[in-house]
Amino acid sequence: MPIERIAVGLTVNGCAVEQWIDPCAMLLDVLHELGLSGTKKGCEMGACGACTALADGRRIVSCLALAASYAGAAITTIEGVGTPDELHPLQEAFIDHDALQCGYCTPGQIMSALGLIAEGCCDRATIREGLSGNLCRCGAYPRIVAAVAEAAGL
Amino acid sequence: MSGVAFAYSRAADVADAVARGGAPGAAFVAGGTDLLQLWKAGRATPTELIDVYGLGLDGIGVDGDELSIGATARLSDVARHPFVVDQHPLIAEAVLASASGQIRNMATVGGNLLQRTRCPYFRTAGMACNKHRPGSGCGALDGEDRHAALFGAGSSCVATHPSDLAVALVALDATVEVSGARGVRRVGLSELYRLPGERPDVDTTLAAGELITRVLVPRAASIGRLATYVKVRDRASFEFALLSVAAVIRIDAGTIVHARLVCGGVAPAPWRLPAGEALLIGQKPERGVFTVAAAAAVEGAPPLPGNSFKVELLRRALVRTLTTIATGS
Amino acid sequence: MSTTETIATGTDTTTGTETTTGTETTTGTETTTGTETTPADSSERTRGPRIGENAPRPDGVPKVNGEFAFGNDMWIEGMLFGRTLRSPHPYARIISIDISKALAMHGVHAVITADDVPGQKLYGLEHKDQPVFASEVVRFHGEPIAAVAADHPETARRACRAIEVEYDVHAPIVDAELSITAPPIHPDGNIFRHMFIRHGHPDSPESEGVVAVEGDYEIGMQDQAFLGPECALGIPLEDGGIELYVSTQWIHADREQTAACLGLDPEQVRMTMAGVGGAFGGREDISLQIHTALLTLHTGRPVKLQYSREESFFGHVHRHPAKMWYRHSARADGTLAKIEARLVFDGGAYASTSSAVLSNASCFAHGPYNVEHALIEGYSVRTNNPSCGAMRGFGAVQTCFAHEAQMDKLAAALGIDSIDLRLKNALKTGDRNITGQLLSGVVPVAELIERCVAHPLPAMGEVGEMMGRPGGAGRTADAHHIKRGFGFAIGWKNLMFSEGFDDYSTARVRIDEGQNGPVVTVHCACAEVGQGFVTLAQQIARTVLGLDEILLHPADTQVGSAGSTSASRQTWMSGGAVQQACEAVRTQIFASLAATHGVDPETLAIQDDHIVSVDGTFSIPVEDAVANKTFEATEVNRHVQTVRLDADGQGDAHVSFAFAAHRAVVDVDEELGLVRVIDITTTQDVGKLLNPRQALGQIEGGIAQGVGLAVMEEIIVTNGKVRNASFTDYLIPTTLDMPTVTIAALIEEPEPGAPFGAKGIGEPPTIASTAAVAAAIRNAIGRDITRVPVRPQDICL
Repeated sequence: MPIERIAVGLTVNGCAVEQWIDPCAMLLDVLHELGLSGTKKGCEMGACGACTALADGRRIVSCLALAASYAGAAITTIEGVGTPDELHPLQEAFIDHDALQCGYCTPGQIMSALGLIAEGCCDRATIREGLSGNLCRCGAYPRIVAAVAEAAGL
Repeated sequence: MSGVAFAYSRAADVADAVARGGAPGAAFVAGGTDLLQLWKAGRATPTELIDVYGLGLDGIGVDGDELSIGATARLSDVARHPFVVDQHPLIAEAVLASASGQIRNMATVGGNLLQRTRCPYFRTAGMACNKHRPGSGCGALDGEDRHAALFGAGSSCVATHPSDLAVALVALDATVEVSGARGVRRVGLSELYRLPGERPDVDTTLAAGELITRVLVPRAASIGRLATYVKVRDRASFEFALLSVAAVIRIDAGTIVHARLVCGGVAPAPWRLPAGEALLIGQKPERGVFTVAAAAAVEGAPPLPGNSFKVELLRRALVRTLTTIATGS
Repeated sequence: MSTTETIATGTDTTTGTETTTGTETTTGTETTTGTETTPADSSERTRGPRIGENAPRPDGVPKVNGEFAFGNDMWIEGMLFGRTLRSPHPYARIISIDISKALAMHGVHAVITADDVPGQKLYGLEHKDQPVFASEVVRFHGEPIAAVAADHPETARRACRAIEVEYDVHAPIVDAELSITAPPIHPDGNIFRHMFIRHGHPDSPESEGVVAVEGDYEIGMQDQAFLGPECALGIPLEDGGIELYVSTQWIHADREQTAACLGLDPEQVRMTMAGVGGAFGGREDISLQIHTALLTLHTGRPVKLQYSREESFFGHVHRHPAKMWYRHSARADGTLAKIEARLVFDGGAYASTSSAVLSNASCFAHGPYNVEHALIEGYSVRTNNPSCGAMRGFGAVQTCFAHEAQMDKLAAALGIDSIDLRLKNALKTGDRNITGQLLSGVVPVAELIERCVAHPLPAMGEVGEMMGRPGGAGRTADAHHIKRGFGFAIGWKNLMFSEGFDDYSTARVRIDEGQNGPVVTVHCACAEVGQGFVTLAQQIARTVLGLDEILLHPADTQVGSAGSTSASRQTWMSGGAVQQACEAVRTQIFASLAATHGVDPETLAIQDDHIVSVDGTFSIPVEDAVANKTFEATEVNRHVQTVRLDADGQGDAHVSFAFAAHRAVVDVDEELGLVRVIDITTTQDVGKLLNPRQALGQIEGGIAQGVGLAVMEEIIVTNGKVRNASFTDYLIPTTLDMPTVTIAALIEEPEPGAPFGAKGIGEPPTIASTAAVAAAIRNAIGRDITRVPVRPQDICL
């Protein structure tokens, strides 16, 4: 049953890493192996968005991303947003608007919103559609939209 | 995580992919958003994945009289590409009605066309499903059948094809270019799909190892720009279709001279409704005409107990789609 | 970055994580004041927010930067991975279970079944009727049969598949009504509870009014669908006990049930709360706690067990589906003469909280109205469907959908306005409900109704752009086919546990000298599930003690029970316990000042950050008064005693009641059957707003779940089998489905007996929002809607 591990080079949050991975591994699991647990596992089927990360600046669901396929990519996770001393303005906006309750979806919401802002979002309707891949069961949606709109300069 | 382990390699080029792709247990992977779900559910068991994501098959451009979309073009890139938006906004509409922003950034055109049914009996390990294993039975036939097919199903399988994009592309008379061991061929997208029959486990007419390399769509000049995509579902966003309609018409001197009516989510493949199309030709683009055509289009659909409502819903969606096109709203 | 680094071990001043037993295990965060941003050596201290202010969450920063450790982030060197084998059948006799092949697999450390349960074989929150593992009979699709511990999750998965179970499959009982008289599917019978509430003289001819309306109503099975799947980590202790980290709503109840099945004393089971990714009732019952503990003790190794999303749907209870028959009869002037109802709640295979849910449904079945006579008959019934138990609203959601539909129907039959009908019969303080209980607290029903409907409607104008129309991103919208509808509903329920339950919470508060002045440590086992108790506890401590640095000890079993984070009870119960413990400490501080400064402690009070005497002659900063001293107090907060309802459903079963009104505005595409909930305008009686911003979050979130139940959420169960155990197929609202939430009024009238006068606010937003949306759809299309969730075919065909 064991299939040989393969070497994969990634740039994760600006750091080059070379990792021996299971060829079947999802990027989400590799991130966890790297000690980056901020990317959350919510459904493992791409349906909730809790595992959203950026790959070469584009938002993806890391639970359906075959890690081997992303060799050479620049991955950004929630740990790569802001610094320990200074939150990213979008993180600040989440705090200011109280855009979270249990917080489980929050890293994914933030990563998805960063990707969405980079794609260009011109109004709140675009934000709402654009973030519809990120479920929030606590229902903090109005605040999430407000926080993202603020960070997007809307 | 869950399926049986597979080996992974990147294809060097199309020839390499095609040479290796026909081996037993081999499968192509690009965005992986559907294949990996099936693998996790134990419903796809490849032993070797051949990655074609990086083969550079993602170009979008104009090739002669056709719009050419590379098979590994990401859906999000397709939806915002100026050529697509200019020539066939229908394609962008269908793509933007699909999945989520994240999935659209990962999933490719080829993968989208080849995605497999969302039938819960197919997707869930342990359930009887002829599409998964012929002869094991069809749970949907006497179980939860709300999502079951209205057209093209058989006694072996009532699953539907979930793609939005494919519905739009069939309505645009798209063809796919396929590379295989015997060279390159072109096949009409409608002919890419096959009906379940006795082999519900086989969705397409692709031979083992054949790889879709691009999709070709006649330019707007030849088929017209009057088109729209309408998708009915239980949630405002990020959900597969309960049913969908792509309609394309061309009007000349006040009468309809070309019509395509294609519906999604109601058949094992994007489903053309030729009876409805025929009743549009030569007619004025008016609601009364649309109503007659839509009624003819859905006639004879044999529903199951739980999906019979979709016949009437589809009829209405057809009228809505055509009316939307005609009024430009 | 290294591959051996584990999780979230950072310990900055605001997010220190608790490390246990010298290992690298991390748990839910231990949090200090979130406002503490000044350098450690600064003498300037930031004033932390008090009661009534918009305090930020102390766990907010770790939650936005990914450091917050949830249950499934737990990791410990050498741990094994657990997995559960579940029944594929809803009802079957187990002929044999052969674990030998699984046990022989390389990497498998344990395979356990019912035979390996050393203590009680059954558990349950109200009634112990659920086997830890099924051994003779399986009674629902997904019932646990065995569990495996292995060196890798994949090995555990394969081992589960290698367990051979032979079944004799039976036809399941899936209809609750039929189950009442069917042969029992469990030794305890098929009826969890059968109850009556008889109010007035419902059998007398005088009870009949001049106009009557009848209706049958049905509600589907809703799931809590919290985003963070269940997870637990067990660590064996040298004394034969166990340390268990789990994401739960009530660790003490978990401990009690787990210890009983392990055959251990509760003291030998030490439990600590792991970070909770949402709960909503779905973590009140045992899911994987006992299995994890058994595997841990069996292997003598740490074991982590976590559910996938699919397993989560099988692993926890759901909201009861219900069928309800109602008949309302009124006098000519609209006075409610009689309400009759028959409620049948499908409790699924095991009891969970079915009895209490039914009691709630019955007690609130008439709505917040006076009625002369009532006869409510309720059943909660065992079937071979998935077990049902607690979910936000707890029984009141189901009957609210029915009683509010009936009120609209009755108003139409009487020819009077439905709002006037509600106002005419509205309960008020001093009235009695149908169980005969005097409503002595705040009952602002009329004001809630009036202020909700008086609020201006959202502009009619344009039907918005495409995304905002019915059909959303599906581009279906045609403005010509959109009809706007308005609906109103008001609901109510009890706060805290009822019917004689010994309901209490415990808090320990301690003041120590810290590096930078005094530090208050609050130790309470209250589960923080996102509702913001950690924020509130800090606000309370600051307000009572006048100190700013408040440390929250991790919630664990080293302190007494806080009860469940459910029933909208923690602000009152645990907030009250924290308040009382702080007040006890404050008394100690005053006594110490009496000794050192010769002041009369009876004359002292804390005003902001100073201790002052009432005559103004004495004043000292609290910081100075407690400098270099230690104070500690533990207090238990119990609410007034309630009683179990008698055979006629009479008695003072509840402590306090909360109310909320909702007005829904919907746009309906009546041709395609698509609904867009545009706006929910709400009023709620909150007693006092302790943290306005967090309160609004609770209201918005509760409404999101109510809207979800109204238009999309349902677990599809066909012949006992769950068909949509995924987030692809079980739909919950997305951002695009969320309506605007407009607060018309939050009524701040202090509730007697409540800490700071505050009522619980978590559940009321979920109760009537579903009913209001259904009413708005009826209004838009002019057709009856008797079942939720409403689907396209219910509207247009």
